[in-house]
Amino acid sequence: MTQTAATHLLELDNISLSFKGVKAVTGISFRVAAGEICALIGPNGAGKSSLLNIISGVYQPQEGRIRFDNRERRRMRAHDVAVRGVARTFQNIALFKGMSVLDNVLTGRNLKRRSTWIEQALRLGRAGREDDSQREVAERVIAFMQLQPWRDALVGTLPYGLQKRVELARALAAEPRLLLLDEPMAGMNADEKQQMSRFIIDINRELGTTVLLIEHDIGVVMNISDHVVVLDYGRKIGDGSPEAVRKNPEVISAYLGTRH
Amino acid sequence: MGTLIETLDTLPHWLHRQALEHGTDVALRHKHLGIWQLRTWRQLADEVQGLAGALQARGFSVGATLTIISRPTPQAIVAALAAQWLGGTASLFDPLDEPAGQIDLLGELQPDFVLAQGHEELLRLGAAQVTPRVLIYLDGRGLSGSGPFDRALDYATLMGSKAFADTVPLAHAQQTAFVFYRRSQQATEAQRIRHTELLQHGRHLVQREGLGRYEEALAARGFASAGQARYLLAPWLIAGFRLNFPENLATRDRDRRELGPTLVAGTRETYERLHGYALERLPPPGDRARRLVDWALAARPGALRRFVGHWLVRRPLRDVLGFSRTHAPLVVGDALRPETQAFFESVGIKVRRWGDSTEWEVPSSSPAPVTNGQDEPHSQRVWKEATT
Repeated sequence: MTQTAATHLLELDNISLSFKGVKAVTGISFRVAAGEICALIGPNGAGKSSLLNIISGVYQPQEGRIRFDNRERRRMRAHDVAVRGVARTFQNIALFKGMSVLDNVLTGRNLKRRSTWIEQALRLGRAGREDDSQREVAERVIAFMQLQPWRDALVGTLPYGLQKRVELARALAAEPRLLLLDEPMAGMNADEKQQMSRFIIDINRELGTTVLLIEHDIGVVMNISDHVVVLDYGRKIGDGSPEAVRKNPEVISAYLGTRH
Repeated sequence: MGTLIETLDTLPHWLHRQALEHGTDVALRHKHLGIWQLRTWRQLADEVQGLAGALQARGFSVGATLTIISRPTPQAIVAALAAQWLGGTASLFDPLDEPAGQIDLLGELQPDFVLAQGHEELLRLGAAQVTPRVLIYLDGRGLSGSGPFDRALDYATLMGSKAFADTVPLAHAQQTAFVFYRRSQQATEAQRIRHTELLQHGRHLVQREGLGRYEEALAARGFASAGQARYLLAPWLIAGFRLNFPENLATRDRDRRELGPTLVAGTRETYERLHGYALERLPPPGDRARRLVDWALAARPGALRRFVGHWLVRRPLRDVLGFSRTHAPLVVGDALRPETQAFFESVGIKVRRWGDSTEWEVPSSSPAPVTNGQDEPHSQRVWKEATT
């Protein structure tokens, strides 16, 4: 996918963020095309998670602008970002461990509900109908993520790899246009990584969801990404196709270490 | 529909009859998106005719073979019956079989008409260098942009085309209904079962086990075997009970528990897996609770032990295994190991064996049959190709 020809879903322009004078990211600009899988890579402390938090509205940048779906924003709350079609997963799993897989996935549908909390509490009017339609969407997501055998299991009782999959399912339940994945394969073995890679590719190809992910496993990144952005010490040092990034001398010396 | 069926000597004729006489009764249930989805006999017959029409329009005719590589699903049953409706044969392959052997088999057989479950199965066809005239898939996931399969047809789209086959099945009793293949050390072998043979065994089972319209059967794993065709599909069409399909292989035990089937036609592996499943959940040996279980499951219990054991151990165990309502627990094919048989008997389930008597044909001595004056050109051609 060429950067110039594609329609860009997300554009970051000169984004800077610092915490009490410590610069986390400095003047970062890149664009994510609609329908691509874009990987954000870099050594620890490079500013990847900070950037994801800026995009999802958790942090507000001191400088720069973000354009999502042709609408520009400087400051926006996480809730508003989610309403606009951005969903995310977290580096450390953030699920409701005492709830079932189905209930966790259903929480991803909260923003899609139109009934008021009173209607929901008393099951009045549209609340009942909404329950059925929300359940159906959640079931479709569970089927897509092949979580049916654990539908009623408490999330806290599931192995780590499955919890990661549930978290992805919950994000998917929001029917996002842009999915932000913060190290979706951290702590997984080779088989689990392969399975998760397959799910990410399927989400992208079958559902048309644009994916921006942070991942440390370079093999996985090169296999599944259309576009790679490389950060180092809060600066962008590479931006292009996996092949171009692999050959970039600055990236090789800063991150990959040796030519692969 | 509306033609009176006078002869009931093929599977599609029985389907036709069930649709005419019990059209609104439930024929199939399939768990999908967490809910049991229903198909009545009328809907099933319409779907079979619809697919038969689509196949007929693409050149499938009397004597042709439809190769089905699918897990047990309603669509796979529909496809088998559609092929038979047109006077053809269904050749079933289990996707869980070892891929290399299956690829070799498919490569030898070079089927003309194929229905495949999804991406994995299509990849096997690709690896076998099979280029069927008609290729249908059930699940399109992972196929977008797959060049080798761009001519493949989506089952759902095909069913939407509203082509309908003849209202009366073209099958007749002596035609081969199902053919199964396997590779032995020497050669490729086949099992062929004719309609008449299937129905004879099916009737026998229905009578011996006292099966009626209100049975609930679960088709979980062993779909691609002669025994399943003989002792599950044929009795289902004859007795007109409900055939249930689990959501997927991984949910079959939970779905069985939820359903509580009255008829279980499983393989030795089914029962051994359930035996292992139960043992895993029992308290460890030496534990006080385990001593109670062992006491309750002892052979030839007295009245007290039988009563207490029933409420505290046997009944809960049967619930866990999904056998709470089962009155026809059958093992098809190989017999159970003595310890597994003894375990099920101890919880009050007397598993009865129905052997699979179909001979595996050795190509050199058993050529493909010619039936009732009607050749099976496709099968014969395939057979010759496969064995030369």
